[in-house]
Amino acid sequence: MRLSSATRPETASAVSHDPIAAAAPPPLVDAARLRAGIRRAARAVDRHAAALTRLDAVLGDGDHGDNLATGFRAVLELLDELPAETPPGDLLRAVGHRLVATVGGASGPLYGTACIEAGFHAGDVAVLDPPLVAGMLEAAAAGLARRGRCAVGDKTILDTLRPAADALGAALAGGASPAAAQWAAIEAGRRGMRSTAGMIARRGLALRLGERSIGHRDPGAVSCLVLLLALAER
Amino acid sequence: MTVPIVSDPVGGVDPSPDSRADDPELTRLRARVAQLEREHRRAFEQAQREADVLFAQYQLSQLVATAATPSELSRSVVIELVRLAGAESGALWLADAGGDGLTLVAATGPINQTLPERLADLDAARRLTAADPARELVVLGDEPPATVLVLTAPPGRTLDRDGLRIAQLARHELAVAFVGARLGAALDREREELRSVVAGATDAIVQVDEARRVVRLNPAAERLLGVDDTAIGRTCDEVLGCAVAGGHGEDHCPLAEVLASGQSIAYRETALRGGEGESIQVAGGYSRAPMTPGGPIRATAILRDVSAVRALEQLREGFVATVSHELRTPLALVRGYAESILHLELAPDQEREYVDRIHQVTSRLGDLVDQILDVTHLDADPLILERAPVAFASLVARCRGDLALSGEDSRLVVDLADDLPPIDVDSARIGRVLENLVGNALKYAPAGSPVKIGASVSDGWLWATVDDEGVGVPEEERGLVLEPFHRAWNVRESRIPGTGLGLYICRRLVEAHGGRLSLGERPNGAPGTRASFSMPILAGARLQAAELRGHRSVGPPRG
Repeated sequence: MRLSSATRPETASAVSHDPIAAAAPPPLVDAARLRAGIRRAARAVDRHAAALTRLDAVLGDGDHGDNLATGFRAVLELLDELPAETPPGDLLRAVGHRLVATVGGASGPLYGTACIEAGFHAGDVAVLDPPLVAGMLEAAAAGLARRGRCAVGDKTILDTLRPAADALGAALAGGASPAAAQWAAIEAGRRGMRSTAGMIARRGLALRLGERSIGHRDPGAVSCLVLLLALAER
Repeated sequence: MTVPIVSDPVGGVDPSPDSRADDPELTRLRARVAQLEREHRRAFEQAQREADVLFAQYQLSQLVATAATPSELSRSVVIELVRLAGAESGALWLADAGGDGLTLVAATGPINQTLPERLADLDAARRLTAADPARELVVLGDEPPATVLVLTAPPGRTLDRDGLRIAQLARHELAVAFVGARLGAALDREREELRSVVAGATDAIVQVDEARRVVRLNPAAERLLGVDDTAIGRTCDEVLGCAVAGGHGEDHCPLAEVLASGQSIAYRETALRGGEGESIQVAGGYSRAPMTPGGPIRATAILRDVSAVRALEQLREGFVATVSHELRTPLALVRGYAESILHLELAPDQEREYVDRIHQVTSRLGDLVDQILDVTHLDADPLILERAPVAFASLVARCRGDLALSGEDSRLVVDLADDLPPIDVDSARIGRVLENLVGNALKYAPAGSPVKIGASVSDGWLWATVDDEGVGVPEEERGLVLEPFHRAWNVRESRIPGTGLGLYICRRLVEAHGGRLSLGERPNGAPGTRASFSMPILAGARLQAAELRGHRSVGPPRG
C-alpha cells in the first residue's frame, strides 16, 4: 500500500498527531515502488515466519509462517520474470496467482484472492493515487471475505484487513493526508489484529477448538498486519 | 465488484458526440463490444464462483481431516455447513453405533423449535424438514448408518445452492470421517481402559524389547523394584537384579528364554532385587508377542511377590506339626484308657476313673479344636471387628456372670472407677480376651486365691489389668507365651491342661483393635502375674478422659 500526498498536499496537516505528516511527501506509487513494497513484504514474512508458525501451531496446523515464506520466495522469482514495465494492477494479479499456487493451506488462496482483486481494481493505470489505493484495499477485503466466507469477528485475516481498509477510505474521505490516512489504516489493522485474541474462531482449522481458541492471536490476522506494515510507504 | 474487466477506451468512457455517431457500422460495433464485455464479465464471475466453491470444499476437507474427536468433528461440520449454505442454524444427528436411531450431537444458531434429541430413523428426519419449508435435510453418507444434518434458512431467505452442493459433494467424505472419528474414539477408550488395567494391576508388569531393555513398567513394578521411570531403557539384569538376588544364573533369564523360543512360560518362580537390595521371591508368567503384526518384539513378565506366601507356608508347616503333636498326645491317652477298658478286666471303680479321664481328655481336645479353629480364622483373613461403644465394666460384669455357673465368681475382685470412658471395641472379641485372661488367672493360681481386675486411662487407651497370685510367667518366657502353642516351662510340666493357644488368640484379638497385650509382674513385688491389655477409648470420650487424668492419680500399669 503506497499513498501519495501529491494529489492533496494541503491536507497534510489535517491530522495533528501524525508522525509521518512532517516527512517528505511520498511520490505516487508506480510499478517500481510497488515492486519495492512487495520485496519488503517478502523480507518481513521471512523474518516473522517462525513466530507465525508458532502461533499457528496453537490454532491451526502449524505451517502458516513457513507456507507464506515459501510463497513469497516464489513471488520474488516472479518479480524477476515480469518485465519492468508491467503495470501495478497486472503485477498484483500475477503476484496473487503465484501466491494461490505456492502457499499451502487456506492462506494462499485468501491472500492470492486479495491481491488479484486489488489488481483488478487498479486496472491498467501506470500510477496509483491514494483514492485508488483505498479502493484496491477495499476490493481486497471484499474479495477475501467472499472467498473465505468470513466476517469481522470470525478470528481471521479479515479482522486486520477490513478495519484497515475502512480506516484508509474514511481517513481519505475525511480529508486526511495520504501519510496520515496510511497511519490510520495501519493502526486500525493493528487494533483489529489484537482483538482476535479475545475471539472464538469461527473459520478455518481453529474452528474445531471452539472456546479453546480464546487467548491466542490469529496467525492470519498477525501476518496480514506484517504485510500491511511492509507494504506501507515510508 | 465494479472492476473494469475490459480496459478503456472500449468501456465507452468517452461518449461525446461524434461526427460519425450515426454511422450504423460504428453503432453495431459498439453493441458488439458491449455484448462481449457482458459475456466476459459473466465468464469471470462464473470462474470466480467456481473458485469460491473449490476453496470452500478445500476448507471443509481440511477441517474434516484434522478434527480429532467425534464431538469436535460434528461441531466443526455443523458450523462450516451452516456457513456454506448461508443458513441461520443447523443441527446434526449421528446414527448410533448399533444402527438403532440417530442422536443429536451438535447444533448451532437459533433453533426456533425444540429439536428432538433422538430420531428413530431417516424418515423421522424427513418429517422434521417436511414440516418446515425453511428447513433442508442433508444426508451425509449412505444409509444406514446415516448422519443427517438439518439446516434452517434465515427468515425470508433461501439456502445457498452452492453451499448445499458442496455438502452433497462432501457427503461421503464426511460419512467416512464420522466413522473414522467414532472408531478412533472407541480405540482411545479401549486403550485408556487397558492402560488403567495395567496401571492398576497389583502384579508387577515388566516389558522388555529384544535386547532385554525395559520398555514398560507398571506402578506395581516400580513399587516392587523401588525404581521410577528412569528404569526405562536399562537392561532387565540391571533393573530386576535377578542374578544378584539369586533368582537365576546369568544364562537362565526367563525373559531371554521367551524371546529366544517364542514359547510362553506359564509359571515360574524366581527372585528379584527389591528397592532396598533385599531378595524378593516372585512367581509369574512370561510371554512374547509382537505389539502389532510385524511390529517390534516384546517380552512381558507378570510377577507377584510371593515372599509373604512363602513365609505363610513355613508358618503353616510349623502349625501343622505342632497341632498334630498337640492332638496326638491326648489321643494316645484316650486310646490307652479305652484299650485298658476293652482288654483288661477292671474293677468298676477303676473303669469309672478311666472313663472319667477319657472325658477330661476329650474336653481338652474339644477346647483345642475350638481354639485351633479360632486361630485359623485369625490367620485366614483380616479380622472384621464389629465395633461399638461399650463400657468396660459391662464386659467385666458379663465375665462374672459366666463364672457364676462354676461358683468361681466369688474369687473375682473388681476395682473399676465409675467414670471410666467408654471403649470402642468389638465387645464379643474383647469379652473373650477378658474371659481367657481371667480363666488363666483362676487356673494357674491357688484355689480360692483372688483375681483382681482393674483399669486405667492412658493416652486415649483404656488399660485393663488382670492380677493373680499364681506361679507367674518366667521373665524369659513372657514374649514366647504370646506365640501359638507355646506354654511356659513352669506350667508345661504341671498337670494343668492347656493348649498354648489362649494367650496367642488374646494377643491377636487385642492387636486387631490396635492395642497391646503383655504379661508381667504385679506391682509392689506382690507374687503372681499381671496381664494387661489396652483398648481404644471412644473418640469423643478421649478429651474428657484426658481431663480426668489431670485430676486422678491413675497411671498406666506397669508391665
